[in-house]
Amino acid sequence: MLKAAYRIAWKDVAGDFRRRATLSSMLFFAISVLVVFQAAFEPDRKEALRLLPGLLWATTLFTTLVGLGRVFQAEEEDGAFEGLLLASVPRGVIFFGKWLGNLLLTLLVELMILPLTMVLFNVDVWRQAGEILGILTLGTVGLTGLGTLLAAMTQGARSRETLLALLLLPLTAPLLIAGVQAMAGILTGGEVTPWIRLMVIFDVIYLALTPWAFGWLVEE
Amino acid sequence: MPSEDSPQPTEVVSLTGAHHRFGRQHVLKGVDLTVRRGECVVLYGSNGSGKSTLLALLSTRYALRQGSYLLDGMDTARHGDETRDRLVFIGHHTHLYGHLTPVENLRFFADLRNLSPSEARLREAVAEVGLARVADKPSRWFSAGMRKRLALARMLLANPSLLLLDEPYSALDAQGVAWLNAMLIRYQEQGGAVVMASHDPDRVAVLRHLPHHLDRGILTPAPPPPRHEEPPPC
Repeated sequence: MLKAAYRIAWKDVAGDFRRRATLSSMLFFAISVLVVFQAAFEPDRKEALRLLPGLLWATTLFTTLVGLGRVFQAEEEDGAFEGLLLASVPRGVIFFGKWLGNLLLTLLVELMILPLTMVLFNVDVWRQAGEILGILTLGTVGLTGLGTLLAAMTQGARSRETLLALLLLPLTAPLLIAGVQAMAGILTGGEVTPWIRLMVIFDVIYLALTPWAFGWLVEE
Repeated sequence: MPSEDSPQPTEVVSLTGAHHRFGRQHVLKGVDLTVRRGECVVLYGSNGSGKSTLLALLSTRYALRQGSYLLDGMDTARHGDETRDRLVFIGHHTHLYGHLTPVENLRFFADLRNLSPSEARLREAVAEVGLARVADKPSRWFSAGMRKRLALARMLLANPSLLLLDEPYSALDAQGVAWLNAMLIRYQEQGGAVVMASHDPDRVAVLRHLPHHLDRGILTPAPPPPRHEEPPPC
């Protein structure tokens, strides 16, 4: 079972590296967002530190949306998604494979934009980089988990990117708020644990319900 | 076909009273179908008669809402994942990923079925379908016929009880048709069961098969439609 999920994720990640499609789009989008923010606010170091959690999460959210818009794109080719559904693995495993592939690509982009943000905004948070990445990972797990389900739901829709954003933003708002607060706590020495706990709860809820919902969604 | 005095072959497909509808349109109306080991059932019928729907139902892609379907004696409604392991369905789409090479496509297929073929076995299957020279090239640029051959290579790997084919001869050249028929004959001899939808009685003729006619959702055993006459010599 795990092998099948891993192979689906491998197929998506390897395919993306070969086509240079999703990863490059996500990275380009993230850099554009950060440059625009920098140009618009021109914050000093103190101000940049205060804005950093919001900036990182806004960039993460936008880039995740770009990635999710393409998560099922390869499956549209020559009935490939139907081929996946004909495999002798539970639907939940297929979902986990698709989610894992998307999660890995998104985390890779986050890993690249964190140092870029620090350079662009001239803030030195290298010592907290591990914790910041941990919070980003925790948020991205839930964001991509629910996002993968919504991407599957909106796959056949004409304006799927818009629909995906419309559905994802309100449903993940609590997770994003908790992510911003937890990161702010790390940077300013405020409370962190309750926000992390909240993020874990949301991650568990999303990942418990989405594979089941996916199975129900794809059944004809 | 098995001779009269041979032992009764095991039933691979046992479909009883299958109904299927899309919205208000009833596509299958109480279809009964039994396919035994080594048998090849060919479904004839006009466009929209329900052939592809019946194949999708047999592949378990469509859930059976009325009737029963046993595959190798297992209830597909209860054991969906296990029964999918016992069949290969090649429809209008080849289910291939263009960014993967033939060998990678086959390995992906094998991994999802918990098969563990060696690299040599994968290359052998690719060679058997005549694609050895492009075994390491992304399949995106393959012709429709090459993609069809690669899709059929899955059968060689999985060795399923049931092979479901929807218009298998489309996109194949004369050499490809001969190769496919030789492969199907061998598969039948080894006890494999085939259900195929076709509009082409000429190409099916070389197979030992049981023709069935599907008309407005009703399936009946029937003689195949008349074969096309040979064109007059120029």
